[in-house]
Amino acid sequence: MKLKETILEPIFKSNPITVLVLGICSSLAVTVTLKGALVMALSVMAVCGISSLILSTLRNTIPGRVRIIVQLVVVAMMVILVDQILKSFEATYPIDKQLSVYISLIITNCIVMGRIEAFALGNKPIPSMLDGLANGAGYGMILIIVAFFRELLGSGTLFGLQVMPAGYVTNNLVILPPFALILLGCIVWVQRSIQKDLQEK
Amino acid sequence: MNTNSNLYTVIYTTIVVVVVAAVLAFVSQSLKARQDANIKAETLRQMMAAAQIKPAEELYATANADILQLYADNIEEAYTIALDGEKNGSLSVAADNIELIDKLKPQNKAILSEGEATLPVYLFKSGIAVIPIYGAGLWGPVWGYIAFQPDCHTIAGAFFDHESETPGLGAKIKDEAWFREKFIGKTVEWGDSPAFVLAKNAEETGATNAIDAISGATMTSNGLNAALNVWFGAYSKHFGLAAFFGMLAGHQASDAEKTEEE
Repeated sequence: MKLKETILEPIFKSNPITVLVLGICSSLAVTVTLKGALVMALSVMAVCGISSLILSTLRNTIPGRVRIIVQLVVVAMMVILVDQILKSFEATYPIDKQLSVYISLIITNCIVMGRIEAFALGNKPIPSMLDGLANGAGYGMILIIVAFFRELLGSGTLFGLQVMPAGYVTNNLVILPPFALILLGCIVWVQRSIQKDLQEK
Repeated sequence: MNTNSNLYTVIYTTIVVVVVAAVLAFVSQSLKARQDANIKAETLRQMMAAAQIKPAEELYATANADILQLYADNIEEAYTIALDGEKNGSLSVAADNIELIDKLKPQNKAILSEGEATLPVYLFKSGIAVIPIYGAGLWGPVWGYIAFQPDCHTIAGAFFDHESETPGLGAKIKDEAWFREKFIGKTVEWGDSPAFVLAKNAEETGATNAIDAISGATMTSNGLNAALNVWFGAYSKHFGLAAFFGMLAGHQASDAEKTEEE
């Protein structure tokens, strides 16, 4: 596969959330604010990209029988590193507290293990890293779109800054997780009407 | 090479685990100082929110360095007491060397086993005294800071936090301002047991030491209630005496000095 396709496919044509329907739970949980969604998107990109790079480099040495365990150890290490780094900076510390368990739960995000198993173990390190980053970016893009509408309508702000005129009554439904599912449904709808080949007969 | 032999698999996994452990230990060590600074600033924010220095949102929007300065400007004295109510140490309050007792878990153990505790009392210039509480919620620890008016009896403010209570249910102890605001104006009966009640329909009794529990978060409410009573019990000798004389030992001494100067 060409590098360009490796990067562009996961972002639009086979987006992990809207097409593969992976990583739904965290996209409901962390999309109340744009800041949280952005930090989550970057964290998943980092975990996905670097884990793919490491495991792709090791792919010919990993014993087949303990393959999943080795993957888990490497992904878990990356998740802990990301969590530790977020906790160390004054700017990201409150966001890390807000995201709480969802940072640690990146390890259970099917996108990470799925891409390692499907791509990184069969391809060279650099394309694997790009595949990981692109899948993280595809996930993050949806997160940011959902968070944009939820923060705008639910809190009247964007990145914590007031954008809605004074007197705007915030919509509590938008803050609640079910609304993220409704928004995701709308995004899937839009994507399937553009990309006709995704429609089931 | 046969990567499927038993010996290879065992050696391979051992090396991977040791390398990963070494990386994590190294990173944890090198980032610890920065993380501790963030935790300290967060503790100070919660204490000052309880002491009504500034609203919690404003404190959370303030940078760490300014928080340290704000604390140094507003604190009168910080000291520790033992379980018998006697003072057994003092904590530095200079802006560049703020000492806190922010590891509450060992203190909680000391209270429960009646061992040697160093329980902090933070006395602000406004006369408000702040003490911590700590206990077990549903999924993890819950803790908080309770501020008392100079009469050492009436609650001036409170702030609660938790590690992993359920969002939307137990997490309300932190997220919902109305919950902590309910504590303002309530009183603690030192020496009496239970000193504080957090239960269903508790407010209907009209008692000044009772607050309604959070519906849907019974375990968190019970845990918080137990934490309040265990820690109030530990402070009851010190604060009971102070309430009787109408002021804390620290204030008493400084007032006496002032009188002499006059």
